[in-house]
Amino acid sequence: MNYFFISIRREWQRLCCCPRYFILLSLGIVFSFVFFLTLMHEGQPEDLPIAVVDHDGSYLSRRLCHELAATQGVKVVAVYSTHAEARKAMQRQEIYAFMEIPEKAYSELLDFERPRITIYSNNAFLLAGSLSYKQLATMGKLASAAVHREILKKKGLEEEAIMGIIQPVEFDTHLVGNPTADYQPYVLTTILPGILALMVLLLTTYEVAREQKEGTAEDWVEQGGGNILTALAGKLLPYTIWFSLLGIVGNIIFFGPCHYPLQGSFGWMVLDMVLLVLAAQCMGVFLSALIPNMHMAVCVSAIYGALSFSMSGFSYPVSNMPASLQSCSYLFPLRHYYLTYAQVALYGGGLRECWTHVCWLLAFVACGFVGMLIMERQSKMER
Amino acid sequence: MLRILFDIYKVFIIEVQRIFHDGGVILIFFVATLLYPLIFGAIYKNELVRNLPVAVVDLSRSDDSRRFIKKLDATPELNVQYECGSIAEAAKLMQQRVINGIFYFPNDYTGRLNRGETARVGLFCDMSSFLYYRSVYTGASAVLVDEMHDIQLKRYALAGMTGENAEMMVTPLPYNDVKLYSSAGGFTSFLVPALLVLVLHQTLFLGIGIMGGTARDERLTVELIPERLRGRHIMRVGIGRCLAYLGIYVPLSGIVLILIPHWFELPQVGKIGDLVLFLLPFLLSTIFFSLTVANFVSHRDSGIVCSIFFSVVLLFLSGMVWPQCNMPDFWRYFSYLFPYTPASQGFVSISSMGSALKEVDFEYSLLWIQTGVYLLAYCLTTQINNKKLSQPLYNKA
Repeated sequence: MNYFFISIRREWQRLCCCPRYFILLSLGIVFSFVFFLTLMHEGQPEDLPIAVVDHDGSYLSRRLCHELAATQGVKVVAVYSTHAEARKAMQRQEIYAFMEIPEKAYSELLDFERPRITIYSNNAFLLAGSLSYKQLATMGKLASAAVHREILKKKGLEEEAIMGIIQPVEFDTHLVGNPTADYQPYVLTTILPGILALMVLLLTTYEVAREQKEGTAEDWVEQGGGNILTALAGKLLPYTIWFSLLGIVGNIIFFGPCHYPLQGSFGWMVLDMVLLVLAAQCMGVFLSALIPNMHMAVCVSAIYGALSFSMSGFSYPVSNMPASLQSCSYLFPLRHYYLTYAQVALYGGGLRECWTHVCWLLAFVACGFVGMLIMERQSKMER
Repeated sequence: MLRILFDIYKVFIIEVQRIFHDGGVILIFFVATLLYPLIFGAIYKNELVRNLPVAVVDLSRSDDSRRFIKKLDATPELNVQYECGSIAEAAKLMQQRVINGIFYFPNDYTGRLNRGETARVGLFCDMSSFLYYRSVYTGASAVLVDEMHDIQLKRYALAGMTGENAEMMVTPLPYNDVKLYSSAGGFTSFLVPALLVLVLHQTLFLGIGIMGGTARDERLTVELIPERLRGRHIMRVGIGRCLAYLGIYVPLSGIVLILIPHWFELPQVGKIGDLVLFLLPFLLSTIFFSLTVANFVSHRDSGIVCSIFFSVVLLFLSGMVWPQCNMPDFWRYFSYLFPYTPASQGFVSISSMGSALKEVDFEYSLLWIQTGVYLLAYCLTTQINNKKLSQPLYNKA
């Protein structure tokens, strides 16, 4: 135990004489929290710019424009008279979708000739394109229903009977765990811990590789009483505590003031975060042991860490990736963090549902000890 | 004139030698730049989320509900894999992450339909990923619209109204939809082009940052500039160094932004000429931007951290994920500091949406402005740095 404190003190001294890197990383984490939380403060993008191409200029087209203006989520920024103008605006990214109302639409409608309106949406932008399309399509359905209702009313039907006719079936939609379909809980709950883990990985790789480069690795183990377990724990623990705290504060912000859904217990999120930090640290030790060249080790862990955002599957489901990559996804701690988060926060799961992911995260921790053994062997061989 | 060219050439040669002497930089310039696009292409190969497993809980057990379920199964998005006896049973499957959605048909489904009331179908969506939600929702609404249409037509048929007359009642104002630029509406054609530009931007930034940091680490003078060129000839140094990176990145960006989208069958409808003209200021501004920042990077590994950290931030700043019009003003202006923002928007406009150069004039001119500003900033910061170094160790080129 005594050696353990000596190790911690040694690490503290090292940190004090060269705190630049540590401060940089901590600031980076704080910056990214502020950045993401303020960037998407809206939840769902509101007032997406759309346009109307009105060839008709009738009561009908004005009415549609009015209805669109009243629709939440989109905003009519322009009314064009030609298709070409709207296409150009779309290419300039001034609008994400537009509705084209054909010539004589209103008179055709009155003549029971079923005029066709057309909705164009920009699919080069996933979120903005699909949300504005969704609003316009709803509008299109409502327009038909409104005309249908008018006809039935003229025939003298009661309002209740009309409802059953124009809407025979409807969905009673439950969005499990995220009732408002806000965008941040999808993204931020994983991307911010991901950034944190990446920073921890880089820091640890750098710190351990520096021991090797400066030839202080032997001294490091000696101070730990020759026990690599103690030496490693003494080196990592101060950072584990600090970065876990940052992560936990982040989670408190998510589930506290931001009101992101959390069905399960907060204790699980704390455990998840601590394990993520530990896993990132130990992968850092492992990588720097495998790659003795310090610069190379940092480069490799940067490449590995940057990939974890894609491979965690929070944005693009892993089940949709090629089979070989699906198995690779297990090699990224963030994947297990994300799965545990979804299980706990969205479905209220506990140990029974999460134990496999916890085991995986612990396996990454074990990699750290393997890395330590490799380093010890290397230093012995050098001697 | 000849003198100027000779100076530039000399700086160029020194820079090329430095690049090829550094294993880390070679790894980033050549391996990472080519590897990342291939990995991204493989990860996002399958475009759409199809055949999501869902469960149905059918308490109605009627022809109506069975027809609805059959239609659900027939959509490209959904695959009805389980039929559960109760909501609890289905909820358990959802929690085990075996299914991504539940459709619940209550007892009175058929009864309500027969009475002419609105029947309700319970829909539970897995919200752990935006794409699950989107696919379940798309499949479900398509079936709902179709089923309502059929039910209504059937009812009018019973009332003696068929054909065009009935259609007129049911959908008096039909609509078509046209999905522009990526008919499949997939994730790949949306995200990968933006990622490809990001890879180029970030590898350049990272490589140059590392070289700046290394020079400082090894206590060389910042710029390894021939003594004579300090002072007012500093511009030549900037241009010479820039040419070295340009020489490497012109072929690389050809591969990454033209060949790779072609291999992965991403939407590619722009004119090559426009694309090339657009990429030139992108590379120039990125190089000068990186050189300027590298002047502040005091250690090799800080460069790496900055660059990796900004990768994620930049992707979100560019407006490709979160629409630019919905950002707070501060972040929107902040995003214009980085060449990546106009570059990704312009590249997507030209390559995926077939815009001509004049439709992206804002982005195009912004890139040229950035080029100019960062060239000047580079010269200025280099001058200041040089003055700080009282005793240059390396003054003979």
